[in-house]
Amino acid sequence: MQEPELLQEGLSLMGMGMGFVFVFLTVLVISVTLMSKLIGRFQPAQVAAPNGRNNAKSSTPKGQDDEVMAVISAAVHRYRSSRRK
Amino acid sequence: MDKLITLWEGSGLYNLELGQAVMILVGLGLLYLAIYKKFEPLLLVPIGFGGILANIPEAGLAISALDQAIGVAKPAVLQQIASALGATLDPLSGVEAWRESLKAIAHDAAAPDQLRAAKDIVMNVGYGDGMLYSFYNVAIASGIAPLIIFMGVGAMTDFGPLLANPRTLFLGAAAQFGIFATLFGAVALSSMGVMDFSLNQAAAIGIIGGADGPTSIYVASVLAPELLGAIAVAAYAYMALVPLIQPPIMRLLTTQKERQIKMTQLRPVSKLEKVVFPLVLLILVALFLPDAAPLLGMFCFGNLMRECGVVERLSDTAQNALINIVTIILGLAVGSKLMAESFLSFETLGILGLGIVAFGIGTAAGVLMAKLLNMVSKMPINPLIGAAGVSAVPMAARVANKVGLESNPHNFLLMHAMGPNVAGVIGSAVAAGVMIKYLG
Repeated sequence: MQEPELLQEGLSLMGMGMGFVFVFLTVLVISVTLMSKLIGRFQPAQVAAPNGRNNAKSSTPKGQDDEVMAVISAAVHRYRSSRRK
Repeated sequence: MDKLITLWEGSGLYNLELGQAVMILVGLGLLYLAIYKKFEPLLLVPIGFGGILANIPEAGLAISALDQAIGVAKPAVLQQIASALGATLDPLSGVEAWRESLKAIAHDAAAPDQLRAAKDIVMNVGYGDGMLYSFYNVAIASGIAPLIIFMGVGAMTDFGPLLANPRTLFLGAAAQFGIFATLFGAVALSSMGVMDFSLNQAAAIGIIGGADGPTSIYVASVLAPELLGAIAVAAYAYMALVPLIQPPIMRLLTTQKERQIKMTQLRPVSKLEKVVFPLVLLILVALFLPDAAPLLGMFCFGNLMRECGVVERLSDTAQNALINIVTIILGLAVGSKLMAESFLSFETLGILGLGIVAFGIGTAAGVLMAKLLNMVSKMPINPLIGAAGVSAVPMAARVANKVGLESNPHNFLLMHAMGPNVAGVIGSAVAAGVMIKYLG
């Protein structure tokens, strides 16, 4: 390949490549934003649901914790008192 | 006594060439970097070891059966090969001269069917393809290994931060400027007569700036297999050097005030969005750039397996067992390209030099793009996260986080930097697709 030609090819590949990368990712940004909006509109519960579930999850263990603590301390107490005798 | 001489002439010490000795030292150097300096050890240990194996004299682990036979077979076999290749051997010149001329014919002049006939002959005599040569053909020449690794990377990637703030995709796009600027640099160097790179080779070198090992190897195997060894070594070595290369550039291009910018909390992303995203990406690839389909298709497939939540077992295998197996084979196969005659050249130095330039330009372009976005957008964007646009997941994001913490110890940028980071993976795969489309 002739040398000025090689340089020109390189330059055009640079311009075209960079341009295409930007166009493609711009299209991706637009479609992702649209997708998020669509999903948000048709399934608003979907976003809220994980929060609700998390709350439920974090509330049950708390109740359980107290119960478990009570059981453990009772067991420890009984074990210690049985050992002493 | 004759037997002793035969034994001595068959020893590695007798046959060791200077180039092979140097390449064995290079292999040991790579192992040192991997083991003591923790430079991408997962890849550089197999590559370095493969490089040593490939340069063991007489063993021929990295060459085809035909080359192996030409190198070591008895004169009678050489004559058979010559007749299969349609060449005549001058009976007056010695066996060594025969080997030289046969090698030249086998690599340049011979037609495919002649090569096949010659190969059958040497197979019959009992020569086989070297182990690393077979690894290379199965894993890299077919394109399979880098693609399976890309699937594993997809299965390990969480697109949550990107979905929460899609504009960070622009940062991943800007950082790809490193790829194309380096391509142009390589072409300019060869037109000035300093180096001698074709356009294909320049493109394969540029992709080092994508900071993505499997993408680099894939593009190099398609566009410039002869440079694959040097490109893979440069790509992985520089990925390990990201924490050293990037911070000075990031500090140079940003002010203290900009580095302290706090970004708003990312919104939660629903599971459905994460499941749909790889499909959206796949459809866009199918519509606009089918040449990126091998890379991004496998990437999306891996990510879908991760997010859909019904194929935990497959996702787990892709992320762990499979990617590890393929990494071993890929590393050894890349090592097979570290043979003295192809690696020890001035071009390799050029590739190493251009690779680091590619990283630097990519980082700078990402940071500048982030500054631009910060100016036009309502939500504040810390320019440091732009540097994470040069893939190198998750190292580049950690670097952005670390530099941010230096300026403001309460400003955690890691999650924000993961967005441009995974965008960089998509960006370099798109850039790779454009190059393959243009040049392939």
